[in-house]
Amino acid sequence: MSQDKKGGIKRRDFLKIIGVAGGTAAVTGGCSEPVEQLIPYVIPPEGIIPGVPNWYASTCRECPAGCGILVKNREGRAIKIEGNPNHPVNKGASCAQGQAILQGLYNPDRTRSPLLTNDLGRRQPTGWENAQKVLAAKIDEVRKKGQNGRIVFLSDNVTGAFGALIDDWMEAIGGVHISYETYAYEPLKEANKRTFGIDKIPTYNIDKAKYLLSFGADFMETWLSPTLYTKQFSEMHSFRDGSMGKFVQVEPRASMTGVNADEWVSIIPGTEGILALGIANIIVSEGFSQKGAELSSVLRDYPIDKVSEATGVPTDTIRQIAQDFSSMQPSLAIGGGTAMTGTNATETQVAVNILNYVSGNIGETIDFAHTLSISDASPFSEMLSLIDSMANGGVDILMIYNVNPVFTLPKSTGFEDAISKVPFVVSFSSFMDETTEKAKLIMPDNTTLESWGDFIPGPGIHGLIQPSMTPVFNTKSTGDVILGVTANIEDLKERYKETATFYDYLRESWKTAYSSVAGLGFDSFWNKALENGGYYSDVPPVQVSLSAGLSGAALPEAAFSGDGDYFFVAYPSYKYYDGRGANKPWLQELPDALSTGVWDSWVEIHPDTASNLGVKLGDYVVIESPRGSIETQVYPYPGTRPDTVAVMIGQGHTSYGRYAKDRGVNPVSILPLATDKLSGGFAWLSSKVKLTKTGKHAQFVQTQYTTHQHDRGIAQEVTLTEMQKGLPPVDHELPGFYPPKEYARYRWGMAIDLQKCTGCGACVTACYAENNIPFVGKELVAKRRDMAWIKIERYFEKSDNKAGFETRFLPMMCQQCGNAPCEPVCPVYATYHNPEGLNGMIYNRCVGTRYCSNNCSYSVRKFNWFQYKFPEPLNWQLNPDVTVRSMGVMEKCTFCVQRINFAKDQAKDKGRDVLDGEVQVACAQACGSDAIVFGNLKDPESKASKLSKDNRGYKVLHSLNTQSSITYLKKVKWDKA
Amino acid sequence: MSRRIKLFLVPVLSIFVFVGFYFFDNNAESSDKGPVQPIRFSHKIHAGEDQIPCQYCHSFVDVSPNPGIPSMQKCMGCHTHISGRDVDYDFGGTIINIQSEIAKVREFWAKKEPIPWIKVNSMPGYVHFNHKRHIKRGFDCAVCHGDVASMDQVHKVNRMNMGFCITCHTENAKDHEELTHLKDCLTCHY
Repeated sequence: MSQDKKGGIKRRDFLKIIGVAGGTAAVTGGCSEPVEQLIPYVIPPEGIIPGVPNWYASTCRECPAGCGILVKNREGRAIKIEGNPNHPVNKGASCAQGQAILQGLYNPDRTRSPLLTNDLGRRQPTGWENAQKVLAAKIDEVRKKGQNGRIVFLSDNVTGAFGALIDDWMEAIGGVHISYETYAYEPLKEANKRTFGIDKIPTYNIDKAKYLLSFGADFMETWLSPTLYTKQFSEMHSFRDGSMGKFVQVEPRASMTGVNADEWVSIIPGTEGILALGIANIIVSEGFSQKGAELSSVLRDYPIDKVSEATGVPTDTIRQIAQDFSSMQPSLAIGGGTAMTGTNATETQVAVNILNYVSGNIGETIDFAHTLSISDASPFSEMLSLIDSMANGGVDILMIYNVNPVFTLPKSTGFEDAISKVPFVVSFSSFMDETTEKAKLIMPDNTTLESWGDFIPGPGIHGLIQPSMTPVFNTKSTGDVILGVTANIEDLKERYKETATFYDYLRESWKTAYSSVAGLGFDSFWNKALENGGYYSDVPPVQVSLSAGLSGAALPEAAFSGDGDYFFVAYPSYKYYDGRGANKPWLQELPDALSTGVWDSWVEIHPDTASNLGVKLGDYVVIESPRGSIETQVYPYPGTRPDTVAVMIGQGHTSYGRYAKDRGVNPVSILPLATDKLSGGFAWLSSKVKLTKTGKHAQFVQTQYTTHQHDRGIAQEVTLTEMQKGLPPVDHELPGFYPPKEYARYRWGMAIDLQKCTGCGACVTACYAENNIPFVGKELVAKRRDMAWIKIERYFEKSDNKAGFETRFLPMMCQQCGNAPCEPVCPVYATYHNPEGLNGMIYNRCVGTRYCSNNCSYSVRKFNWFQYKFPEPLNWQLNPDVTVRSMGVMEKCTFCVQRINFAKDQAKDKGRDVLDGEVQVACAQACGSDAIVFGNLKDPESKASKLSKDNRGYKVLHSLNTQSSITYLKKVKWDKA
Repeated sequence: MSRRIKLFLVPVLSIFVFVGFYFFDNNAESSDKGPVQPIRFSHKIHAGEDQIPCQYCHSFVDVSPNPGIPSMQKCMGCHTHISGRDVDYDFGGTIINIQSEIAKVREFWAKKEPIPWIKVNSMPGYVHFNHKRHIKRGFDCAVCHGDVASMDQVHKVNRMNMGFCITCHTENAKDHEELTHLKDCLTCHY
């Protein structure tokens, strides 16, 4: 602006100023509000009251565990998943994958209608009628050739009515049904056949064991039924009545399960069986146990010195394990992960069985009555013959359901080339994954939350799947498609005419299967089952004994191909499983428990190996196997053996939507085709790789850059000896300048038991879902702008144990301080102390000075640097009870205040106060190990209140006198024999 | 002109204009007309003359935070039979024909389309108002919504800002404890 010498105002200046002022007033004064519409229902859906949630019981199908879920539905949309407390598998808990089902349902990259590739090779949308006719015609054409087995239906291990329908349909059209599970645990099955004569996978009772010895089984991550075993482990490992169970994990790379062990034993890959037999030998030869004398001739070949030399495990460790294993009864040894993916996996598992047998654990902690249905998956050899047949033109139609073998099988199997030779590939996938890319016809299935079905993870557990909302897109349940296609085949028209829809088929099949229990009142049985999420029954116990022919259990050496220096471990991910989770942004943004890395892949290398190679955190290296190479960033991790490197499975998609595509590397792609000799199962652990430094470097994007507590005593622990001597009672009150705050009826608080927290991140994902927390992507996480209200802090502490370090996990969220540092510094009272002890955060008052965040001692406040997007229809998932925050606003955990208000509203209807357990915050609800307990601290009888007074209790950064509402209970460390 | 005066003038003038809008722009907040709805639905006829209770149509008001608006099916429950008089009607100054307005409802129904009503009283997204609690406490709808039974077109009677809420909360709290709760930000904002 020009300046007047006399200091007056020029006319032009005046107009400019008035223009600005008027404009401001127009914006702030609000001359006209945007027109909002009220859209009534044309015909109101039954049972929906706007503003009141409905819950539907169903079954999770993200992995073969088959947990029960409850789906919260608001105004016709599924908005939250919770574990079903009545379900025998997960008993109310869930995992991060289960929480993220919603982001599969509302994934913006879902296939929105049937797609048919035309003669020019272009994929075009088509109608369901047409798609079904096309498939029917193709099937008819193949059937006319008169040869059976030229149609193949490739699915995951489906059970129940849908499994029966596929089998029946394949029989009718002369096809073959193959159930392909990425992790089918074949060696476990084969070993049980050899040791006990039962070709099944049992259920283990970890909760009954006092001593758990796991050979590589990642039972908190992917092994068999992770939520069940997390819950059982928490039971077994919690400190009670002066004692607790002991858990030892034997594996070359400490997995998330491994770092939760009281002792991690590093072992040369492929030698786990030798160790198991060595331990059994000590138990038998030194008379620790009465059983197993008949095996002494076999076990004699495994003297402790030889075992120690072969496995790399010190003799005193072996002796200690043998002593503990036989003295702390009942004990349990399990095998999985790296111990079950070598070329000698079956023998290794036989050795583990022998160890259990000589300690008398069979029937005690191993339950062959509750065998898992994953035992029924097709053997890997069938996949290999399918590939062979496809490559030789033996398959005319390949139908793909819920599997992605192009991604999950190594290139060395030749699946990708073989599938290109199949003239007509049909995919029922709802997502454009790598295998679906090869399909001529895509008939997108409904997701679990949109379909009818059932799933039987094992005897006595008959889970029902019911739709919790109408399909988001023009998709159709594959059961209905099969019925529709069959109706278009001339001579099969009549086959399913009794059941017009798959729902009818399901009901009919239940009517037949459960007629004995349902009796005449099938309708009420059915409704009851829907309400409970399924039908659960008792199963009579099964007695097992050792097979007679076991005497000659020779244990071959594991075979490794490649001339590299490092054993290559490709491990399944608790976030992505076999890669299926990678298209869900919540899972991508959930920091890995160990590295806290997000949205990418990395290779875990021992720090010594890294310094020998001259690489550091974030450097790129090339990993080269005989079958190819991948390039990824280095994460130095003390939990890897110096001779081993490890990469997580799940990333490295070349398709599968915007969140998964071109992100990280797929370690499976460079694996050689090797199998476990006896069971024929695929051997992931069968190669040695070379590492080459590339010289490239980039920031390794993680959420916690330090592994140290810097002597601040954030995650504390106490030894078992101290506990047994008795800890002095604690008083968390520090003298303050002001009189202590008074609370009338409620003071909301929490107790978090660090002894129980496993670091699995289910709470983090549940919080994202409940509180409309935006995911921000890798670039913003790199700038420390992730929005998680609860994070799992992990610390690697130096330790005098054999591993040299120990891991502590600590869930950190707003501590709802009674004397909060954030409150007095807010210039606009946007954050304040509420009369119920919450540290309120009022978004509409916040002007974004970020002073509170600077002053927060716990770094739990998150600032909205941008207006974050929820691409349509991901925004359908947003919880209508929680404000979606906008740019420039601070946000943080408020103990799910919407749930507190809801519970108070319900209690008020009944004319009473909220009872203990009526409010479950999202994180505590999801927690599989019951580490987080929420409740009213004013109620002396509440669980949280009692735990808060525990002698193990402490407050994080207590000396600051923040008077936090969260009491952490110290981790208990095994310090004695 | 001196920089200081200029910097001073911007906020001062803004405040003047803002205050002017605040006090004199009543139109946006409490219009005695209300918006023009797709159908000239008269609350005066339904709630006034015909004496239909509010909850007959807004049936969720005592069970949900949302009062609910009637479905088209509910409209047609009566208007399948009642086609209205073929008379002119003074709808707040606009002359309408009752029968032709009802015919519009039937048209929407025939097409199975919802009527896109325009919201009269609307709360911002960061306010979580719970109708149920207020009704259960025994408040009459008219306390906030005015005498709807006498309005053809429903219009805003009260500026439903925080002052309105808090004034009522202060007057009606049973005791100090309840008052503390009713003045707590987290009761409505989360």
